[in-house]
Amino acid sequence: MTVSSRISGDGKELIIAIDDRFDFSLHQLFRDAYTSITTQDLSYVLDLSKTEYMDSSALGMILLLKDHVQLYAGQLTISKPSDTVRKILEIAQFQRLMTIE
Amino acid sequence: MRNLKKGLYASCLLCLLSLASYLVIADKAFFILLLSILFILLLSLAAQVHKIILQESMAEIGQGMSVVDDELIHSVIFELQQFINQEINIVEQELERTKKVVSDAVIGISDSFKHLQSLSEEQQYMIKILISHSGNAEEGKGVSLANFVTDSNKTLDDFVGVIINTSKQSLETMTYTDEMVSQFERIFKLLAQVEGLASQTNLLALNAAIEAARAGEAGRGFAVVANEVRSLSVGSTALNEDIRTEINKAKGIIANLRSSVEIMASADMTSTLEAKEQMSVMMSHVEKVNIQTANSVEELAVIAPKITQAVSLGVRSLQFEDLTRQSLESLQMNISSIHEISDVLATFNKDTNIDVHEQLLMLKSTCQNVYQATRKADESRSVLQLNMEEGEVDLF
Repeated sequence: MTVSSRISGDGKELIIAIDDRFDFSLHQLFRDAYTSITTQDLSYVLDLSKTEYMDSSALGMILLLKDHVQLYAGQLTISKPSDTVRKILEIAQFQRLMTIE
Repeated sequence: MRNLKKGLYASCLLCLLSLASYLVIADKAFFILLLSILFILLLSLAAQVHKIILQESMAEIGQGMSVVDDELIHSVIFELQQFINQEINIVEQELERTKKVVSDAVIGISDSFKHLQSLSEEQQYMIKILISHSGNAEEGKGVSLANFVTDSNKTLDDFVGVIINTSKQSLETMTYTDEMVSQFERIFKLLAQVEGLASQTNLLALNAAIEAARAGEAGRGFAVVANEVRSLSVGSTALNEDIRTEINKAKGIIANLRSSVEIMASADMTSTLEAKEQMSVMMSHVEKVNIQTANSVEELAVIAPKITQAVSLGVRSLQFEDLTRQSLESLQMNISSIHEISDVLATFNKDTNIDVHEQLLMLKSTCQNVYQATRKADESRSVLQLNMEEGEVDLF
């Protein structure tokens, strides 16, 4: 149950990866992963490839991340969600707000 | 007869020859030969004549028989009349029976067709109502199932939106709470500093008390002041402790707040996911049912007029009864013609004394009259039927 974040080699991407459960317990770690980043025009990639469970607080966290990204004119992409997670994202109609790939 | 004539000429020639031979040749043998030939010839002629006579007498006997058979003619005609009468009666009975059967059957069929027609009209009316109803539903008037499902879907989406927003707001609240907690930590640090100050003040007061004691009587007043300062520092340490306790209580409350906010933020999405899936299944089902209903209604709309058409055709075809009846009636007419002839034959039978020839002539003329009348009737009838076939046929 961790959140790992790293900047890509070329410095244009911030990759945040979540483990199998994405819920309220991660909110502090998740927030810490991006609040200190204030670079303009940065691409944020949320890697959900390992995530199997996600509740509404995860959706709220993603929305807060989205607010942060917009504040610094960046791009948010959700990467490789599982089928269940993808369905939840679609119910929340996140595909209108960000790219899901 | 011709042979007889030739034979007679030949016998005359033979006579002349035998006379000549007797007078000129005087040959006895030759004369006898000629005479014998003559004899044989005459014999054969006699046989021929006998035959002819026999034939003639035979002819006479035949003429005599035709006269005798007047009675036979009477009896034959009587038999004929009886036979015709019997056959006519049977045919008439059968005709009547057929007429009755046909008309009964036609009445039954006609009734059932009329019933069928009214039923099909009723069905068509109901189909029209059905079509107009489904049309209304498509236009969105009133509450249709499809609208209901769409509305529910929208409500569910709104609900999901509310949940997510709540989560977001809760998380923001959480951030503020965390900031507040770290603020408390800073307050604790300040309190520690204040505590340090108090203990230093305490120490200073202690030193001051010692110095006052060393000064003796002169420092007595100062010793009182030092003691007061010391008790102030002890009081401030107690106050500090109270503040720490209160702030710790506040931290406990904040921990409660955190767990409450966590519950608020963390809604399990599984049930929502299931509801959403059920909704989409329901939606596709409703769509399928709608399409099916529309198709069925269309098909029914095509079939119903066809039924009406078929029924009309059946009703129209029932006019065969009319034609059959006409045919049967004309058959009855023909039978009555035969009846007339039979009646004449019956009179023929009664008057055995009247001349047969005369009666036969009478019979012949009657037959001719009846024949003419029948032919006329037949011609007019065929004209009538032709008109029937050409003319427009109305429903009855």
